[in-house]
Formats: sequence, structure tokens, C-alpha cells
Amino acid sequence: MLSFRQFFSRRRRYEDLSVSIREHLQEKVEDLMEEGMSREEAAFAARRDFGNAALLEERSRQVWQQPLLPYLLADLKFACRQALRLPRFTLATIATLAIGIGAQATMYSVVHAVLMDPYPYQGAMRMVHLHLYEKDPVPDDLGLTGPQFAAFQRSPLLDGAIAEDMYSRALTGEALPEQVQAARISPNAFQYFGVPALLGREFGPSDEIHAAVLSYHFWKSHYNGRRDIIGTTFAMDHEPFTIVGVLPQRFAWTGSDLYTPLAYSADPQRVANVFARLKPGISDPAAENAIEPMLHQFARETPANFPQIFHLHLVHINELAIGRFHGVLIILFISVSFLLLLACVNVAILFLARGEARQPEIALRKALGAGPSRIVGQLLTESLLLSLAGGGCGVILALGGIRLVRHFMLPTLFPPEAEIALNLPVLFFSVAVSVATGVICGLWPALRAARIDARRAVDAGSHKLAGRKGTRTSHMVLLAGQAAITMLLLACSGATLQKLSRLMHADLGYDPQHLLSVSLALHEGDHHQWSDRVAYFEQIRTTMDTDPAILSSAILEAGLPPSAGQTTPVSVPESNSAGGEVQCERISAEYWRTLRIPLLHGRNWSTAEIVHSAHLAVINQAMQRRYWPHADPIGQTIVLNHGVAAGNVWTLAAPGNDQHFQIIAVVGDVPNQGIEEHVAPTVYVPYTGIMHDWFNLVLRTRESATAALLHTIKERVHAIDAAQAVGDIVTADDLLQEDTSRDRFVASLFTAFAFLGLAFAVSGLYSIQSFLVTQRTREFGVRIALGARREHIVGLVTCSSLFAILAGTAVGLALDLSVSKIFSRWTSGNSRDPEMLAIVAAILLAAAALGSIVPARLAISIEPAEALRSE
Amino acid sequence: MMILQSLRLQPMHGYALVKHIKQASDNLLQVEEGSLYPALQRMLKEGWLDAKAGTSAKGRPTRIYRLTNAGRRHLEQEIASVEKMFAGIARVLAIAKA
Repeated sequence: MLSFRQFFSRRRRYEDLSVSIREHLQEKVEDLMEEGMSREEAAFAARRDFGNAALLEERSRQVWQQPLLPYLLADLKFACRQALRLPRFTLATIATLAIGIGAQATMYSVVHAVLMDPYPYQGAMRMVHLHLYEKDPVPDDLGLTGPQFAAFQRSPLLDGAIAEDMYSRALTGEALPEQVQAARISPNAFQYFGVPALLGREFGPSDEIHAAVLSYHFWKSHYNGRRDIIGTTFAMDHEPFTIVGVLPQRFAWTGSDLYTPLAYSADPQRVANVFARLKPGISDPAAENAIEPMLHQFARETPANFPQIFHLHLVHINELAIGRFHGVLIILFISVSFLLLLACVNVAILFLARGEARQPEIALRKALGAGPSRIVGQLLTESLLLSLAGGGCGVILALGGIRLVRHFMLPTLFPPEAEIALNLPVLFFSVAVSVATGVICGLWPALRAARIDARRAVDAGSHKLAGRKGTRTSHMVLLAGQAAITMLLLACSGATLQKLSRLMHADLGYDPQHLLSVSLALHEGDHHQWSDRVAYFEQIRTTMDTDPAILSSAILEAGLPPSAGQTTPVSVPESNSAGGEVQCERISAEYWRTLRIPLLHGRNWSTAEIVHSAHLAVINQAMQRRYWPHADPIGQTIVLNHGVAAGNVWTLAAPGNDQHFQIIAVVGDVPNQGIEEHVAPTVYVPYTGIMHDWFNLVLRTRESATAALLHTIKERVHAIDAAQAVGDIVTADDLLQEDTSRDRFVASLFTAFAFLGLAFAVSGLYSIQSFLVTQRTREFGVRIALGARREHIVGLVTCSSLFAILAGTAVGLALDLSVSKIFSRWTSGNSRDPEMLAIVAAILLAAAALGSIVPARLAISIEPAEALRSE
Repeated sequence: MMILQSLRLQPMHGYALVKHIKQASDNLLQVEEGSLYPALQRMLKEGWLDAKAGTSAKGRPTRIYRLTNAGRRHLEQEIASVEKMFAGIARVLAIAKA
């Protein structure tokens, strides 16, 4: 860059120069006049001897100039004029770049926010859950007593550990008690997480147990985000707590509403779940091997708290939150990178086609004396201007895209801690890639011009009878590449849409309309006699039945389908294929009627059998298929080996619970591993066999769920027990929606990508063909004049590019088939379904044909006389 | 080199330089007078010359070019290398004649 001083010193130099030259000429004239010439003759001779004064002065000045800057403004002006002169080209280039950049930056930001850095916690990627089974779909976290936790914390492999006891509790002191998720966490927890409080402070080891820290969402929903609540008190199960702080939005550990300090009791049965963070560089297997012996030691001390046989299995917190979605996100990211690639190819095509058309102009500039640096400089300015405009629009699109994703994405899709924000490095990356493409392709004509000598280039402009072959090959290769990528994207989109449509039209085996559940948690230690608890649960269920808004009600331990109950080892004494694991659902007799699941053979339990916890079981068809494919299962005996048979502080076992059950009926299959997934064999047993201190009430209502309905339910429960809180309504439709939300998200993104890709491919095709028509207008004019038929002209325009599209489609198809295994593993969509592929290929070809119509019509409408007169 | 050599004798302005070179070479060297100026500017930029305001033979304002120390050193190098080249050429020619 020129400094101020240099600028002024240059002005002085220029002045010196002018003065010198003026004096030179004058002196020469005078000398010549002295030799006897007239003034005119002398002036003419002086100028002739001197040469072109203006040019020489200009050349002398150039010695002082830094070439870029003084020309930049002129170039910029010229570039703007060029851009406005060709609005379609300008718009296409900017839009292509913007979409490519916007889509890529958005998608990468999502991937980054969800997969790479979802948690605000310190060392989050080393935080693990400790599971005692490997295959359990909803495994329990390791539970330890106070002294065990203290010993566990001292493990040299761990970079901290916390204990947590989650509980649904009732906010009392209001008209109707409100159910909240309260987590009692060990006092070191906030130090472990390393996330500072938003308001007030967090509690530490020195706080007494009635301090409470609120989560952000609970603070917003229950206190309307008031800042003056710090120091105020509230009552939970009639116990007073003081609010000491509010956590930031991204702190959502276990999704609790509020956190209080955990005080370990001396009771060895009272365990709390334990979570840990590994030291950096410690591998999972190493940690598992080192910690497992310690746990076996603990199991010998308190056998009731551990399964009989177990292995430790570490699960990183992100694995649990994202699971198989990981692969899908990566595939989506790869696809969107393809989209950026497509955009770049499209920009390349646009620039190359235009560069070709500008060869004569460049040749003319060269002939007029523009040096290579000037031509490069001007083209560079033009392509930079367009690329940067595209980049700028891309940034705006990316910001919009992020808002869109935030708006339309179900919160259950990603960990609640994840905050999706625009990722700057990747934004820079995609802008850089597309700007580089624009610049390289924009400079190509200059490089060509440098190779070709000026005369031939100008000739090419004036004698356009036939286009050159070489340039078209490169266009065709780009076009075929575009078609291949588009085909791949379309196939992915087709596969995900197909899967989504299967999910939406799946046979569920139950009726989800107007079906809902609410959860109820007992106050800790209430109804601790088994018969008392059964009576209490039944009382609540029967009072629901009396409400006119409720058609039918039942009790269910787990959630509504398609979520699953507990996995339980089973043995069938009379069967050869004994053993294996089945799902175990604990329900009441009204379950079938409420969910409208058909009872295929046998009979239902009577209410008396439920209340007395009869050892009678109902199985589903999948269970019959596995164990009694050709026999009648009714009357057969099975043994369920599920964990705690004797019960503990929270769980009460029925008297005489020996885990032997006789089968009395077979019911229809209901999805329990996700819709459209194969149905796991399931045993249904009376819920009274093992009673937790919480349960779900399933209700079939007359109309869809409303706040008024929840209020009715709360009032009915309140009439029985004034301190009993009721959780929020979960509808069966919500659950189904949630189950398909990932597929919906994936399918809509893939489809958007595929259609953008298609638009790019078609616009690439269109620009290549239109370019070809303009370049060969004279030739076509001559051909038409000589009597060429229209089909022939159309063939000339479309043939080679359609061939390129066909070849690209074939390559895309082959690529799709070769990656279909990976694709189906990560998205469980089938990308090699022939019917779907045929449709997708047809869409691509139809779009290509449509894109060719305009250039083809342009070609046949050429008037020979006008074409020959042109230029 | 010729320009530098001429200016070594005395500082001059542009037209005087052209006349000097013409006279010194007995009109053997005919250069386009104007192309002197780009050359002068390049030398100014290299720092071999400097220019200051002065008057021409006719008493009008012009710029006088003067050799700097750097210019003098450069000139000596140039002369040395040209002399070497001439010596070389002369030897080759002498061998060819013999």
C-alpha cells in the first residue's frame, strides 16, 4: 500500500518530469529555429525526434507506480458495469455461491454443535456413564453407597466423579402440587462441571442441604425469569429450600428442574447414581479393566445393589445422547459438502462459458497494448467481485439457515445442552473455497489468452463458423460430474423419503388417537406397605374412570409405545430354545382396552388377579413365534429372572413373588424398538408384582389432550391425596412424532440438498447449452440457410450435453450402489431400491430435458440472415 | 551507462544530455530523444541519480540530473564489466584473424 508521503513524492516526481520534457522540447525548437527553421517546422521536427511525448511521459511515470492500486478503481468500475450488463450470469453466479456456502456452513455448524462440542461442561468428551450391562437399551447407571462413592472417587484413572439421586418431587405450598424433577447431586458437582452460575452462585461442600440451584428452563417457566428470586424460599414435599442460584441455559444435566445437595445416608440400601470423567489419555477399555475389580468388591459388600453377573461398560455422554444419529449427521455433512462441490462446479461452468465468450474482447485488449498483468488484474477484479458478493450472500443465508434449523428442529433430537450457532472457521472455509473457485475459473480466459496469439483470437471472434472442440470437453466432464453427484444426492433423498413414508403409514397395532399418559411419583417413603400401595394406585386409576372426559384408564410401568419396557432374561422350562432376553411390561388389566390392542387367544386377567399379583402372563406374537412357533403357548410356564426379587427402599415386591408365570393369552404385536423396527418378544405381567414408587397412568380420552384435561386429572388426584403431584401429559402422537422426528429431519435435509443439487445441475446444463448456441450462432444460421432440419439443430445443441448427463447419471448410480451399505448402516434407509432409483433417475433426466428446451428453441429460432449479419 | 558517464562529467538537464551524447558519439548513436525520460526515471528510482530544480541554458526552469555516489559505483561496475567483455571479444577476434 502506498503511504501518504510516497503519494506526495510521486506528485513531485511527475511535475519534475513534465517540466523537464517541456523544457526539452522548447529548447530543441529554439535550437532548430536558430538553424533557420520556421517555428512550425521546428516544432514538428522536435516532436518527431522526441517521439510520442504523452506515451513517453506515461511510461516514465509508470516507473514510479505500483501497478495494482491505481488501476483497481477503474477495474472495479468496469467489473460492476460488466456485472450489470449480464444480470442473468451475475445472479446465477452469486446465487450458486451463496447457496453452496450457506448450506455447507449451516450443516457444519449443526454437526459441530451436536457432535463435536455439544456440552458446556469442562472435559465433557471424557465424561462417562457407567453401565453394568452392555446390551440393555435403557441401562441403569451404576449406583453406589456413600463410602463406596468416596472410595470410587479416589481412583487414579478418574478426573473427578459425582453422585446424583434423581427424584420426581412435588412443589407444595400452591393450590395444586406441581411435579418437578429434582436432582440431589454431590456437593462437588458444580466444581466438576465447571460451568459458572447465571445468577447468584452454585452450592459447594460447605452449603447445608436446603440450598437449591434452579435450571434455566425451570427459572423461566416457573419464576418467569425474575432476577429477584435469589435468597427466596420454596417448599418441596413440605420441606423449605432456599434458592441460591440459577444455572445458564446450556446447563441441562439429566434434564432436571432443580439441583439440591446430596447428603449420603448411612443406609447401605440408599445408593446414588455415579458419573465420572476419565483422565486425559485413558482409553475406555483401560478404565473399564481398572474399575471393574473395584465394583466387584463393592458388589460383595452390598450384593442387593448389584446384579449377580455384570461387566462394566463405559458410555460417553454424547454417545447416549446422539447414538446412531452420529452416522446420519456425518452423511448429511458429506452430502452438503457435495453440494458445495456442485456449486463450485457450477461456478466453474459459468465462468468458463463466459470466459470463452470473452476471448475476442481480451484479444482486442491485448492488441491495443494491454499487458498480461493488466488483463489478469481486470479479470481477477471481476471474479473477486462476484465471488465476494456470493460469499456475502452465503453468510446471510447461513445465518438464516441456522435460525431455520433452530426453529424447526424438535428439541429432543439433540442433547439439550447443544447450542447451534454459526461456526466461523467453517464459514471462512466455505467462503474461501468458493472464492478460490471463482478466481481460478475467472482467470482461466486470461491464461488462455496468454497462450493464443492476438491475431488468431481476434479472428476467432470474427469468423465464428465452428466452435473449438477442446473447450467443450472440459465442460462436458464438469457436467457429467454434476449429474453424478446430483444422482447420488437424489438417491439418498429418495431412500430417506421412502423410509419416512413407511414410518408414517406403518401398522402400529394400537390406536394412538386421543391416547395419553401422565406420570405420578409418590412422596419418598409414602405407602411403603405393598397392599397399601396397590390400593392407592388402584384408587387413583378407578377415580379416572369415573370422569366423563376419560373413556378408559390403565396403569403402566414404562412409557407408551414405541418406547420399550425393561429387558429381562427369560427361561422356558419346557422349551428347547430356552433362554434369551425379552421385554417385560408391567401393566394392569385395562391396558388392552385402553390402547386397543387385540387379544388374539386366551383370556385377560381379572381385576382381582391384578390386585393379588397373580403369576399369570400375557405374551405377544413375537414371543410366540420365538418360543412356540408351532405349539399353543397358553398354559405354558416361563421364568423371568429380573433383578431385585425381594424389593428395596423404593421398590416393593408382592408376597410370594417367585418369578414363575403361566401364560394365559397372546396379544398382537406393538412396536417396542421403534416404528418399523422388528418387534421384540414381550411378556406382560401384572404391575403389582414389583411396585416402584412411581407409575404411569394411561388414559384414552374422548377428545385430544388440553390443559383443562390435565387440570381435571390433577383435581381428581388431589381429592385423593392433597400432596400428590401429577407430571405433564405425554400423548401417544407426541411420542410417534418424536420417534419419526429424526427421519423427518434427515429426509427433509436430504431432499433440500438433492433439489438444490438438481437446480445446480440444470443451471449448469442450461448455461453450457446457451453458451454453445451463442458461440455457434453463425454456424447454425448457415446450416439453417443450407436447409438443415430443426431436429438436426436441436441435436447439435443438446446431444453432447445430454450424453454427458446420461453418463453422469450412470456414474452416480454406480457410486450409489457402492456406498449403499454404509448409507443403510447409518440411516437404515435403502438406497438401492430399483423402483426408487428409477424414479430418481427419471426426475434427473426430465429436469435435464426441461433445462435444454430454452437453448434448443433459441437455436432453431435463429434467422440465417440476422445470424450472418451479427457482429 | 552512457547517461551515467555523461553525468559524471557534470550535472545536466535532459536536453543537454541528449545533445552531449550526440556530440560525444559524433552522431553515430541516434536515439529517440523521448526514450531518455523513462530511462532517467528508472535511474532515479534506483537511486543512481538525483534531480533538483535548476535553469536550462536558456534560463528557463528545468530539472538538473546529477550522479549520486551509488550511481558512481554502479557506473564503475558497469564499465568494468563492459571492458571485460570487450577484452574477451577482442581476444576471440584476434584468434579468428590469426
